[in-house]
Amino acid sequence: MIVEYIQSALLLIAAFLVIVSAVGFLSLPKDMKNVVYARIHIIGIFDIACIIAMIGLGQYLLAVIYLILAPFTAHAIANAFYKSEDVVNNVELNVVEEDEDNPNPFIVNRSKVQELENEDSEKLKTDERFTISTLDINEEE
Amino acid sequence: MDILIISKYILIIAFIIMMFAALRASAYKGTSMGLLGSSVVVVAFAVALLVFGQMYNLTFYRDISLALIFFGFVGTVAFSIVAGGDK
Repeated sequence: MIVEYIQSALLLIAAFLVIVSAVGFLSLPKDMKNVVYARIHIIGIFDIACIIAMIGLGQYLLAVIYLILAPFTAHAIANAFYKSEDVVNNVELNVVEEDEDNPNPFIVNRSKVQELENEDSEKLKTDERFTISTLDINEEE
Repeated sequence: MDILIISKYILIIAFIIMMFAALRASAYKGTSMGLLGSSVVVVAFAVALLVFGQMYNLTFYRDISLALIFFGFVGTVAFSIVAGGDK
C-alpha cells in the first residue's frame, strides 16, 4: 500500500514536471537571445521527469541508462547549434568575405566590364541589386 | 479507482501534451530545433509506452522502449555530428 502511494506520488511529480517543461518550451519568445540553449535547458527538466517516471514504474535499469544518455544528447545538440547556426556567439560564422583591395578603383579590367554588361552574366543573376547605368555628360555643362 | 491508475493516466496525458509541444517546436527555424523536438517526441513516446505496457500487460513493451531510447540517442548524436560540421 505504501509502495503504491510512493509510486503514484513519483508519477504525479513526473507529470507535473512534464507539463511545466511543455509550457516553458513553447512560451519562450522567439527573438530572445540564446533561445535554443534555453530550450535545451528546459528539455533537461523533461529528461529528469522521464527518469522519475521510470523509477515510479519500476524500470530502474532503464532510468540509469537514460540518466547517462540524456546529457550526451543535450550537449550534442548544443554543440551542433553552436558550430553551424549560432551567429550571435560563434565568431567564426560572422566572417564576411571582403573584396580584394583595388589600388585604383577607376581602372577596371576591360573583360570584367564586358562581363558585367552582358545580361546573362552570372553576377547579375546572383546579385539583383547590382545595376549598370551610363551617364552622358556634355562639356558645356 | 486506484490512485496509481489515476496517476498513470495523468502522466500519459502530460506526455501527450509534451509530444504536441515538441512537434510544434520542431517546426521552428533551424535544424537543431527540429533535432531537439524529434528527440523529445521519441523519449516521450518511449516512456508513455512503458506506462501503457504496465497498464494493459503488453508483451515486449520494455524492449521496444529501450530500443527507442537507445537508438533515438544514437540518431540524435549522429545527426548532430553531421550538422555541426567536421571542424
